[in-house]
Amino acid sequence: MNSERYNRQIILKGFGNEAQEKLSNASVLVIGAGGLGCPALQYLAGSGIGHIGIVDNDVVSLSNLHRQILYKTDDIGKLKSTTAAKQISTLNPDIKVTDYPTRLERKNILELICGFDYVLDGTDNFESRYLINDACFLLKKPVVFAAVSGYEGQVAIFHVNDGHFPPTNYRDIFPVAPLSGELPNCEENGVLGVLSGIIGTMQAAETIKLITKIGSPLINRLLNYNLLTQVFYEITIIPAYNTYTMPKNKSEFIEQGVDEDNNNQHFIDIDGDELLNFLKMESTILIDIREPHEYPKLNTTLFHQIPIISLPELLTQYFEEQNIVLICQHGIRSEAAAEAMKEKYGVNKNIFNLKGGISRWMQHFITLT
Amino acid sequence: MEIEIISFGSISEFIESQRIMVEGISDTDALITFLQEKFPELQRIKYKLALNKKLVQHNTKIGNQDTIAIMPPFSGG
Repeated sequence: MNSERYNRQIILKGFGNEAQEKLSNASVLVIGAGGLGCPALQYLAGSGIGHIGIVDNDVVSLSNLHRQILYKTDDIGKLKSTTAAKQISTLNPDIKVTDYPTRLERKNILELICGFDYVLDGTDNFESRYLINDACFLLKKPVVFAAVSGYEGQVAIFHVNDGHFPPTNYRDIFPVAPLSGELPNCEENGVLGVLSGIIGTMQAAETIKLITKIGSPLINRLLNYNLLTQVFYEITIIPAYNTYTMPKNKSEFIEQGVDEDNNNQHFIDIDGDELLNFLKMESTILIDIREPHEYPKLNTTLFHQIPIISLPELLTQYFEEQNIVLICQHGIRSEAAAEAMKEKYGVNKNIFNLKGGISRWMQHFITLT
Repeated sequence: MEIEIISFGSISEFIESQRIMVEGISDTDALITFLQEKFPELQRIKYKLALNKKLVQHNTKIGNQDTIAIMPPFSGG
């Protein structure tokens, strides 16, 4: 170990050679080498983490450069994981760096994670975040979580026992993943580069604290940060007993994916109350597929009229909306239409069927006329 | 009674952090109903409440001068 390289942290009170030794014996898998992953990787490499893994199958693009600080304009089009690995190896050749330019999937995540002591979640979508959460729950791997939205960021540590509560995880806060399109990501919402820098750096700090056992890492605590006001707001995470189920073994973990895929393959039945929620939901179209002579007439500002006799037309028509809700008199024709629509759009759109149709939820429709 | 509402992320776009007077609301379930009526946008997204900086996992009593945080999940990276 090159102690000159780490001298300024080794001489810190409460740190010393002992903490440095812990860092050099530790391994961290950084998933996502983007806005959060880049600053985190730099500081983790600089601090002397013995082995760093980088998972990302994306390539560098021009719009990444304002926040993904490991990349240069010349790197556009190159793989992020490979480019980031080269950069941090140059920064610190004394550590081992492994790049995994593969897409994170249910079938490879357990294998990727099991060789590392800690996981840093720097991904940019809910699918990956829930996958990492559930895989690390199964393997009992500490996760240093962070996410950004607009001018705000969050940091927390999951799956670690603090001696008071049982270990908490992301599902204790949000048991079920949001629907795709329900909330914007950076691509749609924008993010100030420096925010990712601050939050990614906090993630690296929490990882280092966790490894070296200094200070009070954010175990069972969700830290919110607002860049515009420079205000921190910390929330204690309480376990959400019995609101979700976690996989108990590898086959259940894989099975969970099959269930989710099935949900993606099928349309979703909704009731009258849920229908009212859809009326206010963004990127949503509600389609009344009954024929023009049927009663009651629905409010045409809320419901599009596309009779099912023109189902081929319905299927060839392009809908910009993410959520398509189908309605008919008794919910039978709309079920068939939903099935056909789901077959066409697959996972790219959410298709909903009002079960029982207008007749079952008449009271709900009366309020809408 | 008066409570403080602190909103995060996309929720702060339609609910400003504020102190509000609420009457006849004694627990978090009643508050959720109240908020969803006052801010219908809340009905279409997932969010979590924290009462006095503690995550709310089941219906919990609210008192005068309590602070309620409302936060959506963040996914950006």
